[in-house]
Amino acid sequence: MNGSVVKVERVTKGFSGHTAVDQLSLDVPGGGIFGLLGPNGAGKSTTIRMIMNINTPDEGRISVFGSDSSRELSSRIGYLPEERGLYKKMKILDQLTFFGEAKGIARKTARTKAAEWLGRLGISDWALKKVEDLSKGMQQKVQFIGALLHEPDLVILDEPFSGLDPVNSQVMKDVVVDLARQGKTVLFSTHIMEQAEKMCDRIVIISRGKKVVDGSLAEVKREFGGRHVALTFTRHAERAARVLADRSLCAKVDDYGATAEVELAETGDADRLLRTLVQEDVGLARFEVVEASLQSIFIAKVGVDAATAPAKETVHA
Amino acid sequence: MRKIWAVIRREFVERVRTRAFLLSTILFPLFMAAMVILPGFLMSRSTGTQRLAFVDATSDGMGQRMVDALQAARIGGSAAPPRYVVTRIAALDRATEVRDSLLPMTGRSRKLDGFEGILVVSDSTVTKGKAEYFGANVASFNDMRELEQTIRPIVIARRLEGMGVDLAQVMKSVQGIDLVTNKVADGKLTGESGAATFALAYAMGFILYFSLLIFGTQVMNSIVEEKNNRIVEILVSSLTPFQMMLGKVVGVGLVALLQIGIWAGAATFFSANQQKILGGLGVAASGPMPFTFPSMSPSLLIVFLIFFALGFLLFAAAYAAVGAMSNTTQDAGQLQMPVMMFVLVGFFSVFALIRDPNGTAAHVLSFVPMLTPFVIPMRYSISPLPPLELLTAIAVTVIGLLAIVWVAARIYRVGILSYGKKASVRDMMRWIRTA
Repeated sequence: MNGSVVKVERVTKGFSGHTAVDQLSLDVPGGGIFGLLGPNGAGKSTTIRMIMNINTPDEGRISVFGSDSSRELSSRIGYLPEERGLYKKMKILDQLTFFGEAKGIARKTARTKAAEWLGRLGISDWALKKVEDLSKGMQQKVQFIGALLHEPDLVILDEPFSGLDPVNSQVMKDVVVDLARQGKTVLFSTHIMEQAEKMCDRIVIISRGKKVVDGSLAEVKREFGGRHVALTFTRHAERAARVLADRSLCAKVDDYGATAEVELAETGDADRLLRTLVQEDVGLARFEVVEASLQSIFIAKVGVDAATAPAKETVHA
Repeated sequence: MRKIWAVIRREFVERVRTRAFLLSTILFPLFMAAMVILPGFLMSRSTGTQRLAFVDATSDGMGQRMVDALQAARIGGSAAPPRYVVTRIAALDRATEVRDSLLPMTGRSRKLDGFEGILVVSDSTVTKGKAEYFGANVASFNDMRELEQTIRPIVIARRLEGMGVDLAQVMKSVQGIDLVTNKVADGKLTGESGAATFALAYAMGFILYFSLLIFGTQVMNSIVEEKNNRIVEILVSSLTPFQMMLGKVVGVGLVALLQIGIWAGAATFFSANQQKILGGLGVAASGPMPFTFPSMSPSLLIVFLIFFALGFLLFAAAYAAVGAMSNTTQDAGQLQMPVMMFVLVGFFSVFALIRDPNGTAAHVLSFVPMLTPFVIPMRYSISPLPPLELLTAIAVTVIGLLAIVWVAARIYRVGILSYGKKASVRDMMRWIRTA
């Protein structure tokens, strides 16, 4: 698959006076995993809902598979909305069969596939239970299956991992990675950077409705990286702190006590920092020039204020 | 098409599977049956044999004739137990004293040595037409009427004798006439009486009214529910709003037809076997009014089904639009008022027009799309309409249906995805224009 699968061009959307998405452009290429990142309230879901044609943009243009109306292409798209909804009184298997049929696949096929998927995600025993009997995590899996049942070329997942425990998010992550391996396109939104860092080929970070970072993960890191040093010291932490406080040397320090992640200042370099630390006799256990983590890029670009809320919610992937 | 079918099946199967459906399907006929059986049942139970003290102050033996008549009265058939056990007390001039002495033993129905009531009859009963009864059951309309009917002929006979007239001849000459109504349709006897035809006309109006209130509201509420738990976002990414709305309306409509079909079947069975069922329960057949369930001619059934389907689709689409405009069932309850008004007007127009089913008002209302489904089957049941008028009415309803579905689909399309505040009339107009 070549060319862009989803193209968002200078799209603006406002809700009662407040601009949720502001002149945003995105280009999701075919194949691979595309991460739409941003703090809470940045406009991720609004963007996705506009791509799904649930909301219409005030300005700008959106096309999916080169067409303006994603509703006509519904059989090629799988969608997991942010707010999960299922028919509470329906049995899991019936429900998934219905979702499949609604996407246009035959009833029998839908049923077989649904059963396969339930097996794959380890919830076969629940196939004949009603949705209301399921835990939230299981409901999320069911909905996830509903989005994938008809083997869509494009899968759009809005916060797929929120509220899942590590084991279950691992299971879902494997499925997503597998989809990308099969050549499908996955667009997912998250505010959890570790996940995005492990999975995404390309990322876009948006903040307050505006795009602040766009590119392949490698590009973004290259552009941002080379100026970061990871440190671990074993003694005289106060002396180390004094060195790191020198603004001609370090522009920014992410201090964890015995370890720190440092962004070098324009005037500083790694050699000088190493020399100074050795002189101060802090018992260096690690001194490594590293690529910036997505987390630090995110914080640097979005700003500490905007990122506080998501940082607290961070879930291990 | 396959997608619509999937939606219809989901709506139908999931509804029919619920316990609520099962309960209402079973309980409603039971309730109706109870309404028919219970009054007769209660009536036959309350009228056991009564012990009666007969204070006879007559001087010409009329008292004894009344006692004979009372003792001859039976509950039900001739083999049934006697209606009264009568104790005659002759009290020519002392009627009041005897009555007073009996009072302490009266009205305590469970006591074997007492009386349920005291009947005081004197010569003045013939001249002034008055007899007195004392008892605890004076409020029982049936007891009093029966007692009165038993002694009245004796008094009348006594008066006629006094005038020298033969009682038998009088009875013969005052016999009234009974107008037996027989409905003729298409030049053929239908075997239905006038009363049955009226009942049928009402019943058809009631079925449509009832289905719209129950199932129209179900359509509305299930849309509100889909909005609330956001399933609608998944549905919208798979189906067109038209498919969603049509599937839901037809699915719920089929549930309505199934339930009504079961009820109609149960009612037909019940009325066909009414005597057996009542007999089995030990209720005298003469107790309740025997009710004959009117039979429907095939042509009427077809007309009814056509207009039921059209009417249901038309109103259900309107209910769907109301559901799409609401965020909670409370909102929906308020917003449905205009739709409900039409349902009510339609239902009551059946009552209003049945007296004059071919008058001007009936003709005019036959061509108001929201009312046609109520008016036409009623008129048709009373006298078949000319084919042209029938076809015009169908055409008018179909046009109205399409118009309402068009508007409703537009409201639905936008409404299902707008959460938050309740939609105003201005919002609605904007949706219709922009959708």
